[in-house]
Amino acid sequence: MTSVALPRARPDYGVGVTERAVPADGRHVVDAEATFHDRSDVLDLAHRLAAGDESCVAEIFDRWSALVHTYALRALGDEQDAEDVTQQVFIAAWISRHTFTPSETTFPAWLIGIARNKVADRRAERARDSRRVEAVSLVTGPEAAAEDGELVDALVVRQLVADLPDPRGAILRLAFWDDLTHAQIADELDLPLGTVKSHVRRGLAQIHARLEEVRDAAR
Amino acid sequence: MRHADPDELAGLVLDRDGAPAELADHVATCDDCAALADALAVTLGLARTSVPLVAPPARVRQNVLDALVAERPAPVTAAPGQPTDTVTSLDTRRSRRVPWWTTLVAAAAALVLGVGLGALVNRDGAETPGEGTGQVLMAADLSALDRPEGRGTAEAVSTGSDDVLTIRVRASKVAGDGLREVWLINLDGKRMVSLGFLASGETGEFEVPARLMDEGYRIVDISDEPDDGDPTHSGVSLARGELA
Repeated sequence: MTSVALPRARPDYGVGVTERAVPADGRHVVDAEATFHDRSDVLDLAHRLAAGDESCVAEIFDRWSALVHTYALRALGDEQDAEDVTQQVFIAAWISRHTFTPSETTFPAWLIGIARNKVADRRAERARDSRRVEAVSLVTGPEAAAEDGELVDALVVRQLVADLPDPRGAILRLAFWDDLTHAQIADELDLPLGTVKSHVRRGLAQIHARLEEVRDAAR
Repeated sequence: MRHADPDELAGLVLDRDGAPAELADHVATCDDCAALADALAVTLGLARTSVPLVAPPARVRQNVLDALVAERPAPVTAAPGQPTDTVTSLDTRRSRRVPWWTTLVAAAAALVLGVGLGALVNRDGAETPGEGTGQVLMAADLSALDRPEGRGTAEAVSTGSDDVLTIRVRASKVAGDGLREVWLINLDGKRMVSLGFLASGETGEFEVPARLMDEGYRIVDISDEPDDGDPTHSGVSLARGELA
């Protein structure tokens, strides 16, 4: 089995599903679909899930399936397995909704926790399947758990940056993903240099704080 | 100097040369601020090197939504091979509903019986008394709810009496955090009775009134049950299958 090649080049804003294009005219777009940042919305989804409102599952899927799928894809290196795991995670979230206490910070962490369990299950299945010894050796070293943690962190950060409302989101995406200097971003978005620097600084601190919340909730 | 706030430390991590000298001096002597600065640098590295998320194909979304529909309580339908004239109207069915206290009594009785049998049956891993005997009237393949994975079998076996059946459960891979409790869920998705626990293994036998089958209690369910004194189903099903 070969591992699936994943794009490493500069992101194409037009392709990434959870990533939005920076408006060509630099207009500041208020994003109503922020995943981690709009806390009340996340809390609302969490409550609806816990209350057994079936209609929330599609929304939950739309918000977090790319994160879960990318994690499964990179952890397992197989598209079919990644699809299976993604499917299982959202069905399992529905089935085990009774065991979940709604909270805006724990909700994404809870989903990620389910995803890690499902990935571990799939690895165990592979380990039992002697025909796929090769696949097992690729993914179940002693480093697997630690690597998983780093992988999840990287993907959560990706989503945090992608979902950050503009103008801060646009500024961070240009700074982190397009390697533009702060001066170039100020020029591109027609903002004062000090404003750009302040947004990058606060944005990094904000992303880090959210990442820590997800990590803590996942423990 | 007071501790630096995260924004200041983020500024230092982003542009060491442009940061105020006293901030750099403080971080050089303060373990807490140095640790936070290091952590911010790691997050910055993750943000810069991260790759785009890849959405799953649309069919995965559809499969999830389809599975939710399948998870809904099963509608009342005639079992295959059953004469159609036994399908009762909604009103008739309602009038034949087991009074709540009957369900409780049946559940309590089955619980006591089930625990007793479980203890008896599984002692020393001995062969289940009567194993393989009796005519199998109905059978179910048990499977996990969130995937097509086999979790064993269940059978409704004749005891020689018209009034009593034995439900024989041979589960597999149903390890959970709590106790494993066996239930019969009605096809109407609204009623259920507890049969007892798989107390010492993954097999168990439970005697039940035969009329439960006629009343639609045909979905065998194994739950992961916390030891909390709450007599209701935990909502966490490890395996399920319909006797047919």
